[in-house]
Amino acid sequence: MKKISLLIGFFLILEVFAVLSFEKPGSALARLRSTRDRTIRGRVISEYGPVENARVRVAGTEPFVLTDRQGNFELSTKSLAGEKFWVTAGKEGWFNNAQVAPPSGRMNDIFLYSIYLNDRPDYRFISPVTCSRCHVKLTRYWDKSKMAHTTSNPKILDMYYGRDALQNKNVAPGYRLDNPDSEGNCVVCHAPSVAASRSWTKDLETALWSARTEWDGISCDYCHKVRNVISDKTRPSGKKPVLERQTAAKGSSIMVFGPYDDVVVPPMGASYSSIYDKGRFCSTCHGHFKQLEKGKTWDHTKVYSASEWKGFGLKEDAILPIQTTYREWEHWQNQLSPKDPNKGKKCQDCHMSWRKEMLPYDNYVVDDNARDMWGTYRSPKNIRPHHFDGGTKIQLKTALSMELEGKINGNKLEAHVYITNTNGGHWVPTGETMRSVMLVIDAVDSNGKPLKMIKGERLPEWTGKGKVEAGNYAGLPGSIFARVLKDDNGNLNVPFWRATAIAADTRIRPKTTVTLSYEFALKDPEDEPTVEAKLIYRPVIRPLAERKSWAVDDILITSNVW
Amino acid sequence: MRRYLNFTCSTVFLLVLYLPGQAMAENITGTVKVKGLRSPGNILIYIVKAPSVHLDLSKTKFIMDQQNLTFIPHILPVPVGATVHFPNNDKVDHNIFSLSRTNKFNLGSYKPSESKTVRFDKPGIVEVRCDVHAEMAAYIMVLKNPYFAVTDDQGRFEIPDSKHLEQNGIKEIKNLPPGKYVLKTWHEKLKTQKQIVVVSGNEDVSVQINLNRGTPSVLYK
Repeated sequence: MKKISLLIGFFLILEVFAVLSFEKPGSALARLRSTRDRTIRGRVISEYGPVENARVRVAGTEPFVLTDRQGNFELSTKSLAGEKFWVTAGKEGWFNNAQVAPPSGRMNDIFLYSIYLNDRPDYRFISPVTCSRCHVKLTRYWDKSKMAHTTSNPKILDMYYGRDALQNKNVAPGYRLDNPDSEGNCVVCHAPSVAASRSWTKDLETALWSARTEWDGISCDYCHKVRNVISDKTRPSGKKPVLERQTAAKGSSIMVFGPYDDVVVPPMGASYSSIYDKGRFCSTCHGHFKQLEKGKTWDHTKVYSASEWKGFGLKEDAILPIQTTYREWEHWQNQLSPKDPNKGKKCQDCHMSWRKEMLPYDNYVVDDNARDMWGTYRSPKNIRPHHFDGGTKIQLKTALSMELEGKINGNKLEAHVYITNTNGGHWVPTGETMRSVMLVIDAVDSNGKPLKMIKGERLPEWTGKGKVEAGNYAGLPGSIFARVLKDDNGNLNVPFWRATAIAADTRIRPKTTVTLSYEFALKDPEDEPTVEAKLIYRPVIRPLAERKSWAVDDILITSNVW
Repeated sequence: MRRYLNFTCSTVFLLVLYLPGQAMAENITGTVKVKGLRSPGNILIYIVKAPSVHLDLSKTKFIMDQQNLTFIPHILPVPVGATVHFPNNDKVDHNIFSLSRTNKFNLGSYKPSESKTVRFDKPGIVEVRCDVHAEMAAYIMVLKNPYFAVTDDQGRFEIPDSKHLEQNGIKEIKNLPPGKYVLKTWHEKLKTQKQIVVVSGNEDVSVQINLNRGTPSVLYK
């Protein structure tokens, strides 16, 4: 009996020692103890000699230093007495690596392995399910986003095959109805893992059912195999991702590129790439330029100012800008002075930021067991939740704001509406040309009787004819913000493959205010009339949604009463 | 007898203390009931026109805090000329700005534990936003006089809201002189309502306001 209790006691002591010696850096216990300043000196080398300009930091912390020509670095940090921690090094073109900084004495050299360029188009992208084993929350945010379902999105399939929501065939418009012999290039962005594979299909549905489509859209492994983004005029967006598909140089881990230079964990061969923190990464798909038929041009001077046209990066009149989200942002950024607080704001800042529903803040990008084994404690500032929100209620409510001012001038009621693109770094609405934002104005006298408009715009026919309650606003006082494509016969709102010119582009430019004025006849100047202005986002214009039997709900961005 | 004397004395003393207070109290108090919203809190109640009052704003400190991707408070009424502090008490950077015509400003991106200030010189609504966090929104209401209040969770309010004003460094606001006043409400999801209040000068005025969902109107027409 005595022996057993002695044995238990021995094991208990052993366990306490084990806990203390394997105490994780940054753990609650460690942070309770007092810190002291410490300087770490070391060297980053490779099989080719010292590595210059490698980014070195204590894993998970914000400050970093660059190595000099001899690969040496000097890092000052605060640490606990006797604490061991990981010092990591990363550089573009190399796999990240790390060494333990011992409490005393010089640390060993950090050895970097290079990424030799050997992209293999026969590579099979791994499934997001694999990623989700460790990155549980991140994959969940992504799975809820539109990114994860770009191939299976029924609207895209309906537009491609010329079907409607009830699966009726031959419901125009349809890309394959107009081009029965061409499969088009939709897969380039809608199913990129298929498009990037050697000699695979370009037909969307075949792509969707193919074993090469990971999930049903843009997957983790595809984006994190991008080493760089370069210009390529043959692609619809004018940009092309440079992929690097191979297993890590040493070992069988999954090679991934990412924005962290301090991730050094066995399952991944992680490599730092600065492209992940730049708007240019998104340019691979968020742009669409159409080359008009040979000899044809269109007059852009009536629609765009010279600077805007230049901002789209276009010189020729033979190119029709269908979607320009990335270029809109780029042009806006280029215009800003270096001191402007908006300078440097990029796509990732708004479309990959924290949301209230995700709180409390997380300090790790991995969860569960992986967190205990390999997790790096980092500030939530340094974590980008992959929700990719856009065109959603939350995002739209912040994108535009509106103010309304009224004035009674004798027998006239003047209403001035100021609509501002408050938070959009691109024009609003952006992307797909079937989107629109409508301003609807309703002026009534004190008895609730509508007032007659004598000056001002009215909403066009394609905002819907019929009952106002059902969202049909044609003819009402108001204004529309959209990019309107037209064909040679003068038809408006045609799909991009039929378009030959842009009829109008009234979308609201970043951080600018559009002022619209309306005048109404007032019978009694002493009366107290009311003006109500509503700003409504419509994901799909009415005539198209009706033809395709799509159920699309308008989103009320904001409303105002004077 | 002595017993009674003691009692009478203290009663008289208390009355002396109490009566002048009673005579001077002509606060407007009231409750708000709403339909279609979870809570009757965070509704601004203000007097549109009031006799001018000299305000010493040199010692004021109005605060619009940031915690867990939320601005606190959601609605901050301030008198014209007030300076508002925007401390970042969150774990991530924020970039506070407004493109409202009343007061346009952009504080740029700043780190947790830093703070910046903005002065508001024009009456009106200032919609405050954060550049990177779409859900963050708050309203600073720049008002022409200090006769305003924001309702609590139960929908109660008191004008003038001396507690709120004192907390922010404005002391000794006199009550409204007798007269007829227009009282208005503002909440971003509720239809604005007007109510006429008569202050007689010798007793508290109690108001009951019922609000419905809708669009609010401008502060001063």
